[in-house]
Amino acid sequence: MSNLNELGTVITTDVLVLGAGGAGMCAALKAKESNIDVLVLDKCGTGWCGQVPIGGGILAYVHPENVEEWAERVTVQSGYFNNQDWALAFGGDMHKAVESLENMGITFLKKDGKTEILNWGPGIYVTLFDAPKSLVALKKTAQTRGVRMMDKIYAVDLLKNGDRVAGAVGLGLVDGKTYIFNAKAVVVAMGGCGYLHEKTYASCLGDGAAMGYRAGAQLVNAEFGSGYVWGVKALGKELFGIHFYLYLENARGEKIMGKHYPELMTGKHSVYTFDARVIDAMQKEVQAGLGPIYLNLTGLSDEEIAGLAEDQATELTHLMANDNLKLLREKAGVDISRERIEMLPRYLYSGGGMRIDTQCRTTLEGLWAAGASSSNSWSGGGGGQGGLGVASAAVTGFRAGESAGKYAGTANRYEIDYKEAKRVIERALAPMKRRGGIDPAEVTYRVHDAVVPMKYNRQREAGRMKEALGIVREARDKLAGAGAADFHDLARYHAAESMAMAAEFTYRSALMREESRAGHFREDSPQKDNKNWFKWITIQNKKGAPFLDTLPVPLKDYKFQP
Amino acid sequence: MTVRNLDREKCTGCGICVACCPMDVLRLDEGAGKAYVAYPKDCVACWGCESFCPVGAIDVSPERGRGELVSPY
Repeated sequence: MSNLNELGTVITTDVLVLGAGGAGMCAALKAKESNIDVLVLDKCGTGWCGQVPIGGGILAYVHPENVEEWAERVTVQSGYFNNQDWALAFGGDMHKAVESLENMGITFLKKDGKTEILNWGPGIYVTLFDAPKSLVALKKTAQTRGVRMMDKIYAVDLLKNGDRVAGAVGLGLVDGKTYIFNAKAVVVAMGGCGYLHEKTYASCLGDGAAMGYRAGAQLVNAEFGSGYVWGVKALGKELFGIHFYLYLENARGEKIMGKHYPELMTGKHSVYTFDARVIDAMQKEVQAGLGPIYLNLTGLSDEEIAGLAEDQATELTHLMANDNLKLLREKAGVDISRERIEMLPRYLYSGGGMRIDTQCRTTLEGLWAAGASSSNSWSGGGGGQGGLGVASAAVTGFRAGESAGKYAGTANRYEIDYKEAKRVIERALAPMKRRGGIDPAEVTYRVHDAVVPMKYNRQREAGRMKEALGIVREARDKLAGAGAADFHDLARYHAAESMAMAAEFTYRSALMREESRAGHFREDSPQKDNKNWFKWITIQNKKGAPFLDTLPVPLKDYKFQP
Repeated sequence: MTVRNLDREKCTGCGICVACCPMDVLRLDEGAGKAYVAYPKDCVACWGCESFCPVGAIDVSPERGRGELVSPY
């Protein structure tokens, strides 16, 4: 180990969890139940990481007696394109996840002493929890159970010994130290890729899938899950609340949802910020020259406006980050009782992640993935209910932690290979030797030009996607001229590289899939093509270049048949 | 700058803003026991620090440190 110590500070553990957001904390807590050493680290500070604290505090729920019905509905909605094993596992674990999270200290909305299950639409159930304080609660529980935690460490790459993952390299953002972690099992729970665009998802930089890819893990579903949310233009932020859609109007003052989706104007519907129907209506109106789109809440009282959100509960922490109306008043100086609010579709994040089995094992020995760093095809590229992100983080986190913990309890330790560590660290630190004039943020914001416009990413078409890929590659090539003065800069560099990679993989997979289904729509192949495309697209690093392949949906092995 | 004010008088140095910042914009001055804005241009105005600050010491403006808003249309 003396050689290794020359390369960085070596820390040994049994299960290493990268990322202390919802998925990571669930994985760490569960892994600890195997009575092994667990270390979780994050680029932020434990208790405040990831999307959960800043999100809406909604957790999707499936009643235990309805699991099959739920999984079948999801399967039929996906056209049998989903991973049914995962749909059943996901639905089946949701009730358990709520119980576990409560036992770990998270506060849920209660009614008569029981967790209140809210019905937000046909077959749609959710629970509300105290999001801002949720991870602080999990941290406290983790501390009492002896989970080790390290803050402000930016994980940059995995380390392998032969074909098995044996650890990771991290940058100490504050202390400037290079860390070498040696573990029997590594869980990547670093979120998806939000490209620093939509503010709620600013913490997800695509690093998890990128490091998995570099180490040789298979990625899947990169062409699906690219989504837009509708948000407040002046704030650059999505608007939480399930009934606001009723008050969207065009420049002429015509209600746009009634015009395009009249069925949504009667009865009770929950229309989330990411609802494709809203994005559709907004885009159609603007294309017809009737933009911009406004939210018109003039004449409504504060109580009526609060009722439109339906996800605010006085028992739970009132979080200003989600209180857009307060932000509008205080930050943008908009008087919502007198003025209309200009709205804009906002690109949310790209889909896909490391392919995992129902134990959250990736295709690499010793490596697990959870939350948005993973992709399990449970919905076949669909989705469409609020709170699924948190539910997925909890379910995959718990499953990954359980599997990784048990593995680490019996598996032999593979030491860190010096040569491999040196190679990985030299690559990671290379920008420190340069004093380039390019700021990595320029690369990130150039990638926005390729991923945000709907002409590239919502109405996809081969020629335009190639154009977008050109933008991404040009942006990525600029990185060669970027240097880093400290580890903060270096982290920005690696994030820019990961985001460019996520965009490239999205478009390469989308170009390969010459059909339309779920969230992937191609103008030049607008029909679903089950004959040629009833398969998932995978991406794997083969000799330093991405190799795209397909994996037939194993329908004959599944429970529900067309 | 998008963290337009960090009131050092109010700041208790609890470190929550440093912990929640996804962009590593804020750091803790251990000596003074106060948070400070170390990398202002990287702020993306997510409002995490302002929302979570227990003493209301932080004021974030809606504009990002940089990066024009790309139109989706």
